[in-house]
Amino acid sequence: MPRRNHPSRGAPRRRRYDGAVPPGRGGHRAGDFRCAGCRLDVPGAAPGTAHRNHCPHCLTSLHVDRRVPGDRAATCRGRMEALGVSVRPDGEWMIVHRCLSCGELGTNRICGDDNALALLRLALRPLRDASVTRRVLLTR
Amino acid sequence: MSHPRNTLRTSTFSCTWCRVSVPVATADGGQRNHCPACLHSRHVLDQVTGGPSTCLGAMSPIAIAVPRAGDWTVVHRCVRCDELACDAVREDDNQLVVMRMAVRPLAQPPFPLEAFGTL
Repeated sequence: MPRRNHPSRGAPRRRRYDGAVPPGRGGHRAGDFRCAGCRLDVPGAAPGTAHRNHCPHCLTSLHVDRRVPGDRAATCRGRMEALGVSVRPDGEWMIVHRCLSCGELGTNRICGDDNALALLRLALRPLRDASVTRRVLLTR
Repeated sequence: MSHPRNTLRTSTFSCTWCRVSVPVATADGGQRNHCPACLHSRHVLDQVTGGPSTCLGAMSPIAIAVPRAGDWTVVHRCVRCDELACDAVREDDNQLVVMRMAVRPLAQPPFPLEAFGTL
């Protein structure tokens, strides 16, 4: 009896989609994605923001926007690691991301369910190396 | 700005923000691209294409970031076109301004920091 479930037969298999943007499907759970850094399955609905664009656990993002947030015009699709925290004049934190593949920078608003420990570690990263702080504050 | 081939005169630029006149060359022989007094820069390099930019807007410092292996870098945002750029902190930058920018997130944390005392 011939094999009927051979992978080369029948319809071509769809490549599994990993990324911050879902393929063009609407409906239930349309914004869900799997994190490119820690492989966590993240629901698209996020408290405090309309569009989630980074993983709440490891803060990794994906390079899909070019100049305007949400334009999905970048062809890079590289992984973006969190580089630092910036503060807007109204006091809201923004995460600065850098693309590991092309080096471009981007900022994202933090989200209500982001990992607080990861955010605080990121904000305290300049103070991690005591030699720099000592040179900055104690000399001169 | 003086002619680059004239070695007798140091080339300087005037900061777009605080108007301080600063020499382009640093003491360690590098090239400076932000003001050491207020850390502001000017948008002369297009980050997406890599070529010269036509914007020429002032770029304000928004954050101090630390790559995994490396020294402190200051992240700039153009006030005209919102583009971001990254630049290493130099030895003769105003250390108080740099340090203020580095600890600024802790002034207004989005969650209570007391919870971390029990971890």
